[in-house]
Amino acid sequence: MPRPEIDQITFTVDGREVEAPAGTMLADAAKLGDVDIPVFCYEPKLGAPVGACRMCLVEIEGIPKLQTACSTPVRDGMVVDTQNPRVKAAQESVVEFLLLNHPLDCPVCDKGGECPLQDISFGWGRGESRFVEPKRHFQKPVELSPLIAIDRERCILCYRCVRFSQEVSEDYQLVLHERGADTFVGTFDGHPYVAPFSGNIMELCPVGALTSQAYRFRARPWDIEQSGSVCTLCPGQCNVSYTVRDDRVVRVLNRQNDDVDDGWLCDRGRFAYQSTYVDERVQGPMVRENGRLVPSSWDRALSTAVDIIDAADGRVGALAGGGSSNEDGWLLRRLMTEVVGSRDFDSRPAGVLSAGLQAALDAPEAQATVADLEWAHAVLVLDTEPVDDMPVLDLRLRKGVRRNGVRLAVATSRPSALDPNAELSVRFAPGAGEAFVCALDAAVGGVGDVAGLAAAAGADREAVEALGRMLREAGEDVVVVWGERLTHAADPEVGANAARALLKASGRLGLLDGRRGAGLLQVPTGMNARGLRELGVLPNVGPGYSEPAQVGRSSREIAVAAAAGEVRALHLLHVDPVASYPDRALWEAGLAAATGVVAHASFLTEGVLEHADVVFPSEAGAEKEGTVTHPDGRLQRLRPAVGKPEGTLPTWQVLSHLITALGGRATALTSMMITSEIAEAVPFYAGITHDEIGGFGIRWQEREASDAFPAGDSGPFSLVAPVAAASPNGALRLGSFRSVWSSPEVAHAPALKFLAPKQRAELNPDDAADRGIRHGQRVTVTADGTSVSATAHLRTASPRGSVFLETGLGDQSASALQSTEATVPSMVTVESA
Amino acid sequence: MTNHLLFQDIDEPGLSTIEVYKRRGGYLMAEQALAMARDSIISSLKDSGLRGRGGAGFPTGLKASFIPQGKMDKFLVCNADESEPGTFKDRELMQKNPHSLIEGMIIAAYAVGANKAFIFIRGEYVQQAEILEKAIEEAKAAGYLGPDVMGRGVELDMWVHRGAGAYICGEETGLLDALEGRRGNPRLKPPFPANQGLYQGPTLINNVETLTAITYILKVGAEAYAAMGVEKSSGTKLISVSGNVKRPGNYEIEMGMTGRDIIYGLAGGIEDDREVLLWFPGGSSSPVLTKDDLDLPYDYDSLAGAKTMLGSGAIIVAHDGNSVVDIAVKTASFYKHESCGKCTPCREGTSWTTKMLKRIQSGEATPMDLDVISSVCEQIMGNCLCVLGDAMAMPVASMVTKFRPHFEAHIEQARAANEARLLAELDAPGNVLQGIAAD
Repeated sequence: MPRPEIDQITFTVDGREVEAPAGTMLADAAKLGDVDIPVFCYEPKLGAPVGACRMCLVEIEGIPKLQTACSTPVRDGMVVDTQNPRVKAAQESVVEFLLLNHPLDCPVCDKGGECPLQDISFGWGRGESRFVEPKRHFQKPVELSPLIAIDRERCILCYRCVRFSQEVSEDYQLVLHERGADTFVGTFDGHPYVAPFSGNIMELCPVGALTSQAYRFRARPWDIEQSGSVCTLCPGQCNVSYTVRDDRVVRVLNRQNDDVDDGWLCDRGRFAYQSTYVDERVQGPMVRENGRLVPSSWDRALSTAVDIIDAADGRVGALAGGGSSNEDGWLLRRLMTEVVGSRDFDSRPAGVLSAGLQAALDAPEAQATVADLEWAHAVLVLDTEPVDDMPVLDLRLRKGVRRNGVRLAVATSRPSALDPNAELSVRFAPGAGEAFVCALDAAVGGVGDVAGLAAAAGADREAVEALGRMLREAGEDVVVVWGERLTHAADPEVGANAARALLKASGRLGLLDGRRGAGLLQVPTGMNARGLRELGVLPNVGPGYSEPAQVGRSSREIAVAAAAGEVRALHLLHVDPVASYPDRALWEAGLAAATGVVAHASFLTEGVLEHADVVFPSEAGAEKEGTVTHPDGRLQRLRPAVGKPEGTLPTWQVLSHLITALGGRATALTSMMITSEIAEAVPFYAGITHDEIGGFGIRWQEREASDAFPAGDSGPFSLVAPVAAASPNGALRLGSFRSVWSSPEVAHAPALKFLAPKQRAELNPDDAADRGIRHGQRVTVTADGTSVSATAHLRTASPRGSVFLETGLGDQSASALQSTEATVPSMVTVESA
Repeated sequence: MTNHLLFQDIDEPGLSTIEVYKRRGGYLMAEQALAMARDSIISSLKDSGLRGRGGAGFPTGLKASFIPQGKMDKFLVCNADESEPGTFKDRELMQKNPHSLIEGMIIAAYAVGANKAFIFIRGEYVQQAEILEKAIEEAKAAGYLGPDVMGRGVELDMWVHRGAGAYICGEETGLLDALEGRRGNPRLKPPFPANQGLYQGPTLINNVETLTAITYILKVGAEAYAAMGVEKSSGTKLISVSGNVKRPGNYEIEMGMTGRDIIYGLAGGIEDDREVLLWFPGGSSSPVLTKDDLDLPYDYDSLAGAKTMLGSGAIIVAHDGNSVVDIAVKTASFYKHESCGKCTPCREGTSWTTKMLKRIQSGEATPMDLDVISSVCEQIMGNCLCVLGDAMAMPVASMVTKFRPHFEAHIEQARAANEARLLAELDAPGNVLQGIAAD
């Protein structure tokens, strides 16, 4: 469904002529004329208005009864009165009614001071009550979940939270119990409300009924300041506002940016700030002494790092974690190219794509935006699980399907949370992404051997054909949301073939022609993967997707070379490859063999703890300054909300120091100067400044400089026969996923700790029955003599012949069993422990 | 004047079976209707002047004409959630003559092009639901329902859906939500069900009596039907008379008959030959009338002129042996209990009013509370999402206005009684407060 065209109309509110887009609800349109109409239940983010609280009653000329402004669209010539005695009487009555059972315990309520009920009572209420009966009483507060406390006495039953659960996040947990004046909010089954987006209900609550367990009684509104920035925990890059008290973050709120997050946050983004203030966090520099990491002075740490890099004599490998800002990535790149003289650096966890293919995939003409997902004719989610990989996208996809009838298709190995919303769900074998995209291309084009390719992908031929038909016939606005891991194969040819097949299929659907509303949207594995790519923090790509004179080693090649002694020192920028990259064993060997390891880290994760010789503290999200690039090309600005732990230096200063200490050019005196350097180096970022990025970011594709984007590898491509999925043959294919809750920030935030995942093996019940495995039982998953123990989790939706394990769980990770060296996906055996 | 149309053969033994119903000319109208143009049925309904019998009195033909034309899934819903206190006319119709409802629904569904019909019946009507289910089976077996109704290429399927016991599910949009399997809460209007009703499809929703009347309108002809009753309230109406009357029950009358003729004529007068204290003309949600209003003609407009309403046609009579305070408490409590809680004025207002009335009842109030009640009722009326709030506010406000001296007398009496009781307690031997009270 394409975006509707909206005309401007003129209407009158309280005697003022106001222009507003036709169809806007009166409550919003009146604001354009500086008329405030009070609302409680109305929240446009929640979808169609329900008109339940009756706070917004206004008089419209020609309509005898008062109307709810929240649900009345403005029409040309409409005459509205929001202040006459009749309207005022109605407003005063609603306020009086709402306060009947409200405890008025504002002095001890967290919401006091930033409470819509207070504001509206003051602005539109009578200021007194005639109610002398006993009020409604509930036990208070009670835990709605470990994250949220519910005070049912304060609740005014606007039921925003219930609508969020039912119609936005679609977890269907919150309901209204009982009826009439006895109504109360709770979960259907009385269990805690635990869901990826549950925290949003606290922000939706217009009173103090839903409060944050983590923030309760930590501050009053007059103690705090709000500081806008961007969440750095996933590629979603939601805009946030940090609540700061005494130079400490005490809360995270959304800072609505419809082009990025639609005003929602996931619970990880909302509560992970707590990990900033835990003892486990790296608070200052450390060096290894007698085999143990001990705190050190900055001078000593910096000189140790300089010595390590110097001693390696150019044979240094560097990894930039996906969480690095553009500025950090840029300085690491400069350190490597200008000072160390090595091109062995990478920002991808695995795989390598040529500059040409990278540029073709990221071309402005092929780029879909997050907002396009709402209005597309059809969306294909390909080899990614949005709720885990880029949570806020999950809500956007649901919104498109629910409100605008977007046709959704899901093509993944593991059953997706979006399957119930999808018109079509296609499964392919874990690791057979390449074969699947080739099959998809054939199905979309109606040419080639769909049956053979589908079989190679372990997918159902008819389902692939139906998917091809659906995408072809849905309409011109098709968006493909694809996971970067599609191109993560160790063999560069396999990754390239997948990328070519994706481009080819997209070309057939007209997604590469620059049509607004259609295109590709990548879900990268790292928060700022796109920015790092565009700066050329890749072994084979220069700034702005240029072809470098010399090509270096990719992540995996660095690991191999380090293990073989060819790369002697490793520089780990905000990343621990042992903990989070595939090929765990290879990285262990590489780090162990390296003569020196310099790391920037927030937490001493296993690889850093065991192998780093120097550790510099990484900034927490709220302390960070710089810029990041959203997967759809939006440059966004990170603004520090709080200071860093005393005496610590920001990462860019550490890198800057290393550059100068090793004889490089001193250029960056402030973070902003690095941004300017980047803007000079990347042609299509030309001229971008912090001011231009502003509070809501700017997509470089929308600037003139985007003309400087290089021509990518546009084909025509001929695809090679893809690697076929292994037939299970008694064993099971190993698939992996990374849950939204799998990160050191979750593991260390006291409020979120309870969500930190434990390894579980997801199996089809029939496969489990064949092996005599029951749900909840402990099992051992083995590949090539390495074992991981897990709890069996039987899912009927899980495809037969595959087992799925989580990554990011230390030596119990799927990555302990996965080797990208193998040309076919890993096969494992699963048996009772 | 009584005139039997819907109740023509109502007491015929076995009328609920299709054999007896057909022997009495059943399903002839449906056969005739399916041979007619859809528009001409709707215009007959318009000409007949039939108005919705569920309570609101909206012209039925006009409502049917709002259903969009064209081929799509359209729904017909029969509102059989007869929950208004004092109303029991639909029960008798469904129990004794279910096929006349089914026939009316076939005609209505054909007229608007609906292919799926639902009868939403209140959960307490177990027997009636079973009778309807059996009747639907019979009608299906006889070819009056199914994929090809009477061989005319019209599809119509029909289901009985039982409610779970909520007054609010008699409100049409609340009914639709409940039918869809959700919590029965009224929806915001617009959109009206005619455009977006059940499962977002165009939906015609009517009361049992209205749908049944359609059969008889075709039988006697729109003109003859319009000639019955009075201007703008044509036809016959089933009324349920209850309370302190000698012969309570359902009666079919031509509209325009006076209240006196109904209460003293049909219903045989007041129990123990006492005086009328008050009467609800259209169910417990209608503003009450007094004995001075007995000569009002019983039709939509005359009652509206007296600031009350015909509603569902349920006349509840209370004689002067009752306390108006008790009646007010009972009425308000019912609506407080049934308020769904979605919108503020109804949820809070009904609860508050009930609390105040109970305080009046127990003698802990002052006459000032009566002003607050009137004002609260005023604040509810017209400001709610649906009419449930008004349904409490209207009768309560009318009672407080019309019987204020009764309320004030009760307040004073109850207060005095309380005082006497407390003083007596204080005087009782051994009460430790005695010394204190003496000061």
